[in-house]
Amino acid sequence: MRELDPAAALRRTDLPYLRRRSRRPVPGSPAVAEFFTGHASHPHHHGGPPPAPPQRPGAQPTREAQAGAPASASPPPVSASLDLSTPVPRPSPPPVPTPAATRVRAARRVPAGTQLILTAAAPTVTLTRLQSGIGTLTVEAACSSEVGDLRLGAAYQLRSGPTSTVQSSGGNRMAPPKTRRPVIIGAREPFEKLSIDLRQCRDLERLAVYAFSETRSPLRWGGTLVIRTFGGAEVEVPLENVEGRVVMLVTLYNVAGEFVLRAEMQAVVGDVREVCRAFGYDKITWLDDRTPVE
Amino acid sequence: MAIMKRGANVALTREIPDLAGVVVGVSWNAGSESALSDNLVMASMLCGADGRLLSDEHFVFFNQLGTPELSVQQMEQALGGDQEQVEIDLRAVPAEVEHIVVVVYLNDGPGLRRTLGQLRSCVVRVLNQDGNAELVRSEDLAATLDAETALALGEVYRHQGEWKFKVLGQAYATGIRGIAADYGLRL
Repeated sequence: MRELDPAAALRRTDLPYLRRRSRRPVPGSPAVAEFFTGHASHPHHHGGPPPAPPQRPGAQPTREAQAGAPASASPPPVSASLDLSTPVPRPSPPPVPTPAATRVRAARRVPAGTQLILTAAAPTVTLTRLQSGIGTLTVEAACSSEVGDLRLGAAYQLRSGPTSTVQSSGGNRMAPPKTRRPVIIGAREPFEKLSIDLRQCRDLERLAVYAFSETRSPLRWGGTLVIRTFGGAEVEVPLENVEGRVVMLVTLYNVAGEFVLRAEMQAVVGDVREVCRAFGYDKITWLDDRTPVE
Repeated sequence: MAIMKRGANVALTREIPDLAGVVVGVSWNAGSESALSDNLVMASMLCGADGRLLSDEHFVFFNQLGTPELSVQQMEQALGGDQEQVEIDLRAVPAEVEHIVVVVYLNDGPGLRRTLGQLRSCVVRVLNQDGNAELVRSEDLAATLDAETALALGEVYRHQGEWKFKVLGQAYATGIRGIAADYGLRL
């Protein structure tokens, strides 16, 4: 497994308190080296001359030093590490591999006013924090009546706890159910449509949009799933080349404030319950194969 | 405590030469209109000399609480009577930033529509970050609002090597879209 190096990690601008309270280890500091090796590099309690005080690079000289006093007059330093005596020989720690130059692939974006089609070869797109946090994000199934009785629904998980499904028909129209302030609303106007209130985007952990046949009769798949941002950017997923009565269309994950969309286009044997379970929504309990228990 | 009218400005760092950081706070009273207060959003925009937003990352709001260099950071929980607060570390603000504009807007969500005219009061104020002493506050900006859905409250800006604060009180009938057009925000 690759070692993760906090010094090389991307900075989290969404969590300012981490920066205020964290302090990166000072390289070369004896106390830190002692912590990592597990034993003190100098015996404190076994006589010998007091070692030179540990000095951090760039640390201010002490007042005694400024006054010209001899270095030996400074008080013995207090080590931050515990010395439980009888140093046990232990194997040297494995060398920390220098992190290889990490290649971070730039996320694919969809600027305002443009359109992007998700395909099997390029199934993902990342919305910016602005696109993920301003206005309403809509997911609409643009399908003609030839397709059949196609209905849209979504399994969701909120950071405040609730997890269930939302559908315009045959289920809860709002997520979470019976709320004054829904995060997601299902509607039919005239296409099946889900609307996500982005004022509450920080509550949304993940979402999985599926389509199913209301009458359980086979669907003649066609049309397009259109995901539209407030700024008018459109992410489209053709509803073709797929078979089945229940299909997972698109998943959404909230990654550090950015919504990552992925076209799944995965048919599942069974019904809504099975498609939700197949994509990891295993905390939803079910009344029957398409109705969650509330 | 000084009450500032729309358009009035104050020389912050000339009055307080050792001022290192300020807190811009906004307090509003939406009465019992929870649909109004739930959807009100405060945002801060770091703009260049041309008055345009530097980049997407220089729009600070609840889903992006700080700029990359962390000079401007919005509080998740405001302290001391304000609904929202943003901290500005004046010495860390990038040199190309000339204006830091603080706005509120109503998020255009799927629920009920509201307008800022339903606000009973809306006041922006500036605190010294060191000690939280209030430096200035605006007049009630809600008094003249009607069907607008966004409001530029004020700006902290550079002027001849000093930092100043001005009360804007500029309302927008087109909400965040109007602000986006004025400041080059890419929605």
